[in-house]
Amino acid sequence: MTELYKTSKGTTFQCDVTDRICLQFGDISASFKIKDFFIFRRTVKTINIHEMIFNLSDDYDFEWIESPKSGIAQKLTLCEIVQLRDLLDGTKFSLELNSVLHETLGTLVIR
Amino acid sequence: MKDLVRLRTSLKEEIEIILNAQCKMEAEASNKYLAMASWLERNGYKQSSDYLYGQAEEERTHFLKIFKYINDVGGTAITPVIGEVTQEYSDLKSVFETALQSEIAVSLSINKIVAKCREVSDFATEEFIMWFVKEQREEEENARRALELFEVIDVNSSAGKFLLDKEIAKIGGKE
Ligand SMILES: [Fe+2]
Ligand SMILES: [Fe+2]
Repeated sequence: MTELYKTSKGTTFQCDVTDRICLQFGDISASFKIKDFFIFRRTVKTINIHEMIFNLSDDYDFEWIESPKSGIAQKLTLCEIVQLRDLLDGTKFSLELNSVLHETLGTLVIR
Repeated sequence: MKDLVRLRTSLKEEIEIILNAQCKMEAEASNKYLAMASWLERNGYKQSSDYLYGQAEEERTHFLKIFKYINDVGGTAITPVIGEVTQEYSDLKSVFETALQSEIAVSLSINKIVAKCREVSDFATEEFIMWFVKEQREEEENARRALELFEVIDVNSSAGKFLLDKEIAKIGGKE
């Protein structure tokens, strides 16, 4: 397991044995196939946080986050969503940086 | 550390995004043609309405072609959300003016995809999208031909509308 990104609220790892991304964030502990990880990130990114900020109705205090294949179905607060986004963005950056290194240096060079 | 991103897909994220946007544009084009066909049908232009019903189908196949490509190369094709399209037109000519404008917009968008593919060295997608470059050349030509007919046929003459309806419908047939 290689650590991909860490914030004060959570950590992500890459597992080269299972080819999965592991996520630990608050109560959430889940692993994703890479494709599902990006779909999950997209889900979290598309939440309308402005709506959550400005709409005073109780319905907007929390947002449901779901990733059916990873067993995630969780209510998150605005603050948690922003923190989760931060973690997911950082993870994506690490993944892409690794990809660029592979492309530039050649797979065999990187250990 | 394995390169999981590349193992999953050859698509760079920026290309995946513009391809999904193009899917949406093709699906929208399909709906626009459908609305135009319906207007023509309601207003007695039966033959050119059949032509545009056909165009609507064709745009749907363009949409699916890109949609499936995204998934085939390991990306994630996203079902697009399509907004309202114009339902009412002032006259026959304005329908085909809108059609040409819409095709030009699609051509520009396709060109941007080609440029982006070259920028990020995605030659597989460039090769795929070149089919659309050729297709757009034909689509623009057809749309221009429809408007050209308004110059040679007087829409206000006795059988003008009838004749235009008939001649526009032939554009599709010559392909
Ligand atoms: Fe098209
Ligand atoms: Fe078209």
